[in-house]
Amino acid sequence: MRTHYVSEAPFDPHSVEKLTPEQEKLYLASQWQLMWLKLKQHRLAVGSSIVLAIIYFMALFCEFLSPYNLHTRHTDYIYAPPQQVHLFHDGSFVGPFVYGYNYQLNMENLKREYTSDTQNIQKLRFFCRGDEYKFWGLVETDVHFVCPASDGYLFLFGTDRLGRDMYSRILYGAKISLTIGLVGIALSFVLGIVIGGIAGYFGGLIDNIIQRLIEILRSFPELPLWMALSATLPVTWSPILVFFGITLILALLDWTGLARAVRSKLLSLREEDYCTAAQLMGAKPKRIIGRHLLPGFMSHLIASASLSIPGMILGETALSFLGLGLRPPITSWGVLLNEAQNINVVALYPWLMLPVVPVIIVILAFNFLGDGLRDAADPYK
Amino acid sequence: MIRKSFFRFSAIVASFFLITQTNLASTDHEPPFLVQAVRSGELPPMSDRLPQNPRIMEIKKQDMQTGKYGGTLRMLMGKEKDIRRMVVFGYSRLVGFDRDLQLTADILESYEVYEGREFIFRLRKGHRWSDGKPFTSDDFRFYWEDVANNDELFPFGPPNTFRVEGELPIVEFPDELTVVYRWSRPNPHFLIELASPRPLFIYMPRHYLESYHPKYGDREALDEQAKSRGSRNWSGFFLKKARQYKLTNPELPSLQPWVNTTSPPAERYIFKRNPFFHRVDENRLQLPYIDQVQINIVSSSLIPAKAGAGESDLQGHYLRLDNFTFLKEGEQRNGYDVLLWKTLNGAHKALYPNLNSRDEVWRNLVRNVRFRRALSLAVNRREINQVIYYGLANESSNTVLPDSIFYGNEMQRWARYDLQEANALLDSIGLEERNDRGLRLMSDGRPLEVIIHTAGESTEETDILELIHDSLLKIGIKVYTKPSQREVFRDRIFSGDVMMSVWTGLENALPTAEISPGELAPTRQDQYQWSRWGQYHETGGEVGEEPDLPKVRQLYNLYRQWSEITDAQQRQKIWSEMLQIYTDEVFNIGIVNAVPQPIVINDKLKNIPVKGLYAWFPTSYFGIYSPDTFWFDE
Repeated sequence: MRTHYVSEAPFDPHSVEKLTPEQEKLYLASQWQLMWLKLKQHRLAVGSSIVLAIIYFMALFCEFLSPYNLHTRHTDYIYAPPQQVHLFHDGSFVGPFVYGYNYQLNMENLKREYTSDTQNIQKLRFFCRGDEYKFWGLVETDVHFVCPASDGYLFLFGTDRLGRDMYSRILYGAKISLTIGLVGIALSFVLGIVIGGIAGYFGGLIDNIIQRLIEILRSFPELPLWMALSATLPVTWSPILVFFGITLILALLDWTGLARAVRSKLLSLREEDYCTAAQLMGAKPKRIIGRHLLPGFMSHLIASASLSIPGMILGETALSFLGLGLRPPITSWGVLLNEAQNINVVALYPWLMLPVVPVIIVILAFNFLGDGLRDAADPYK
Repeated sequence: MIRKSFFRFSAIVASFFLITQTNLASTDHEPPFLVQAVRSGELPPMSDRLPQNPRIMEIKKQDMQTGKYGGTLRMLMGKEKDIRRMVVFGYSRLVGFDRDLQLTADILESYEVYEGREFIFRLRKGHRWSDGKPFTSDDFRFYWEDVANNDELFPFGPPNTFRVEGELPIVEFPDELTVVYRWSRPNPHFLIELASPRPLFIYMPRHYLESYHPKYGDREALDEQAKSRGSRNWSGFFLKKARQYKLTNPELPSLQPWVNTTSPPAERYIFKRNPFFHRVDENRLQLPYIDQVQINIVSSSLIPAKAGAGESDLQGHYLRLDNFTFLKEGEQRNGYDVLLWKTLNGAHKALYPNLNSRDEVWRNLVRNVRFRRALSLAVNRREINQVIYYGLANESSNTVLPDSIFYGNEMQRWARYDLQEANALLDSIGLEERNDRGLRLMSDGRPLEVIIHTAGESTEETDILELIHDSLLKIGIKVYTKPSQREVFRDRIFSGDVMMSVWTGLENALPTAEISPGELAPTRQDQYQWSRWGQYHETGGEVGEEPDLPKVRQLYNLYRQWSEITDAQQRQKIWSEMLQIYTDEVFNIGIVNAVPQPIVINDKLKNIPVKGLYAWFPTSYFGIYSPDTFWFDE
């Protein structure tokens, strides 16, 4: 006799259609949550954002993290090469320390010659007192994360021609170089959305004028235009003003691409029914653009903005490298690189070119992150 | 009859000997570079090219070696304008300094001076321009009568050196080889100007230039020709053709050892040997030894790198002390030697507060000696010396070198580093008030923010200013640096827009009493602390302002006294007194001097001293070491 297998479980007619908890989360998620989910899967982007977070954190606390102040000079240690941090001396554990230098000026070729003095062990101190600074311009303090041994010195990235610690200078430079990107993008974001929004929403003559303006702006070769504009900044401006001047210059030339993207999106979105509905209900253009149209492609905007931050950072670096951007005493990576452009540095003091490394890291990280964001902005693809 | 034939015979014998002699000469002594041209008859043989009594350079006597012909000397320059350096290096002068800085006749066979007011110049018989035409007193006459005294070419009359209290000399040309300049009072500047790196050219090649001069041609045709070549009238065109210093006209005959053959603009200039040059060595070889000089124009920032790659045979310009280490590294590999010569400036870099500034408040401030002294006291010269010059320079105010006979320790009184005294000085002149940033306030309430202009030619100046910035901030003065370009830099100083500038100090820090102390008094527009007062003297009072600071007037009067006396002792006294005043009043703020200058030379190049003086005046850089006696040992 044949027997049939019969499931004893109760029959659920929806079992096939039923969503797993993960699926449920996905289908019910808002757009922002979707983006986040998608972004999390992009390993490179996640890694990059961690790197960026660390670097921005360091920039934010640069006074605390750097062993010296920006302008502290050690005239006895000019062009000192980078010191290595050691943990063991003669096979026994000492804790983080650096060896001191043996310095002599070679009178034969006037070379400042440094060798490690392995007898001179300088244990690093942590959370210690060093140069005074005003933290965020508010609190006066002298606590540093790491300091050299008392009466010692610590030049992790070597020193420059005036005996200034390169590591501290790069950290301080990060503050300027990284914020110029953010501030610049913020400015060009506003300009791009407002101008592009107007062009896209109203269309017609206004659109025409704005489009031609954008074309004119984009047809100028970028570098000469930057140079011309930055040459007009007066000398007596304080470094901070110059900094904002440069950001403004970069932003003024950068908004055009964003404005175009906003315009084309708006041109298509304004034909949608919900837009017509809003119009019929008497909403003002400002509300329609801001409330109904922009959120529809905000994610796209953010992605494209994060892709143009590296452009800003490079722009500042290029301008300063050419000697037209920021000027000492303000210190950015471009300023540091500007000081490194001579044959002596290339041949004798290569560590002065170290600011190239953070520039590359930050640019790559922003590019990867932007890439991940762009993918994530379109989660259903 | 017999006598006659004897004469004929001896004439034949004599001419035979002459011919063999010249033949011998042409095979033995003729530079290979010119042999072809001599054989084809393009050039006369050497004996005809040299003056009858050429200048014999005492090479062996100076412990050098006589050399051999040949080779091309390569040099690097940063700007096209720099080809004028060939006049400085060539150093062919009517009278010039020798290696011991004594005046000697060079182009002239001899000269005589009576009472410091009458100058008799005797030319070398048979001396020729580089195109083979004779060089005679007529060339002096042409310059004096048709150029210097032509009011279209020189609207203000002959150059200032010719004026003694406004009086021009009586110039005579007794014969082809003699020229006489006579004043009623002494003119101590005359010979020095002739021996300068940028000499006063008191002769011009008449045979070449007269075709551009309306006295010898049709004025209208000349004007038309000038217009078609882009000049306004004949005089502009004439001056363009007659640039003996700027060397922009390759056609212009010259008396220098090498003659430009390239018309600008170009990136490579070739200077060829002057076949009629008037100097020979002790073996009767015609100088220069080296056939050609090749000047490559490259970006000045690349010059250290290129010199380090062995691309220059003789280079001092655009090299700095901090390139020394780099240059030393390539010495073996690229076949050159790096020498350290001594510079002769009173200050390698000095700050020039502009006493003629248009800003009245600032002007009054810098005219106060206590303010200038305070600035000087606040410069940490020791630090600058250690950081930038390896401690090899001499920390000093802008004055003579310690080796000088005029040197005194009191000259360094304001060259100490004493912030306390500097602060006290500033407090004593009503600058006590400070703003919230700690900056002192000027009398109109503006904070003391000083913009220091630089010619933007080196980062050295910016580094010095950065170091000065910090120490000046400690006395409540904030310094900004504004780099520009040399022409703009000068124009802005002359117009009074500049508060303070950085430039080199006194040109000659090892003076003798015979050399004019004009640098210490307002005598030239390019004295950046008082350009308008200097201009006043230069133009005879037509432009500029009369000095109105008592001490400056005193300097000026001393300078005039010096010009009028010829007694060496009294001149020395005046020199010392002027230096006293100049340093005590701190008219400019010297930082360091005697900075070593790296010189890169090809290791096959001979006759260059290992220790030398590298300066504009009086040594004309390489000029007094006669580059025409340099040779390649290959």
